[in-house]
Amino acid sequence: MFNLLAVVLMIFNPVDDIVIKDQWIRPGAEKMATALYFTLENNGSEADTLYAIETDIAKMVQIHETYSNGDVLGMREIGKIIIEPKSSVKLEPGGMHIMVMRLKKDINKGDEIEFKLHFRKAGEISVTAKAKTSSDNE
Amino acid sequence: MKKFLYIITIFTILILIGCESKFPLDKDLTRKKYTFFNQDSIEVIFPDIIKGKVTVIGFIYTNCPDICPMTTHNMYLTQQQLKKNAIDDVLFVTLTFDPDRDFPSVLKKFGKIRDIDFNNWVFLWGDKKSTESLLRRFDITALKTDSTYFDDGELTYSIMHTDRISLIDNESRLKKNYRGSKVNLEELYNDIINLGEE
Repeated sequence: MFNLLAVVLMIFNPVDDIVIKDQWIRPGAEKMATALYFTLENNGSEADTLYAIETDIAKMVQIHETYSNGDVLGMREIGKIIIEPKSSVKLEPGGMHIMVMRLKKDINKGDEIEFKLHFRKAGEISVTAKAKTSSDNE
Repeated sequence: MKKFLYIITIFTILILIGCESKFPLDKDLTRKKYTFFNQDSIEVIFPDIIKGKVTVIGFIYTNCPDICPMTTHNMYLTQQQLKKNAIDDVLFVTLTFDPDRDFPSVLKKFGKIRDIDFNNWVFLWGDKKSTESLLRRFDITALKTDSTYFDDGELTYSIMHTDRISLIDNESRLKKNYRGSKVNLEELYNDIINLGEE
């Protein structure tokens, strides 16, 4: 009986294929840009793609990466992030990040900002990112 | 005789190694003066503002979401560490390479939002000519790139730039460069202390 119940629970309450964790955002001033970071985990058996992010706090949001040429660094839009099955992708300072542009108001340390992440398969996932000046290992 | 020359050569090499400075650069920054404005829109002259002070200078633009905040944060942590050890005669300077957007009030807000102590930290804004000229003195590259239009038609852009923090001695001589976003904070701190003692 209990085994049957466990199977039913597994079917109707599956582990999320896409998990977003360790999200944080840098403080930023109104009209300026800042960056959102997080780790994406794909626990599913198929690849998924993050292709858009929405937030009420900014005029535009893009998926970016920082690249280097010696000690000269630049930034470019990459448009999407593919997460292979049973793997994770880390968006972190100096690498991939979500560029949050033209802030509608200041983001101060401790503020919590809502984002909606759009995936091709998993659909829309909402996250709240807390503002802090650096990652824990920066 | 050959043995004698060999010993002399070895001794000379050892003496030269011993005399080598911890600081790889020695560039005089006093040859040209530049007019800038600080975060309070007060006119300041570079290098007059750094005269007699060990100075840590970083190069940023405030619309940079990733690298420049890391550089600024590294300078902030260094400022806090010095303050904790009651060392208050080190100057911190941030120069923007985006004079079209980073006006003094913008720089001030950028600093305030990061809890920067302006008592020994000066943000500099200058016109394009002064900015580019001073950037050349520090061998800094800054090129506008990757532009995007907002739906209201306003253009925004990124800047491809050198990732740099530099250390200047109290005689206004550039002594060492560091990777701004990835600087070893202990190395920078020790260099500041050593430079102050030289």
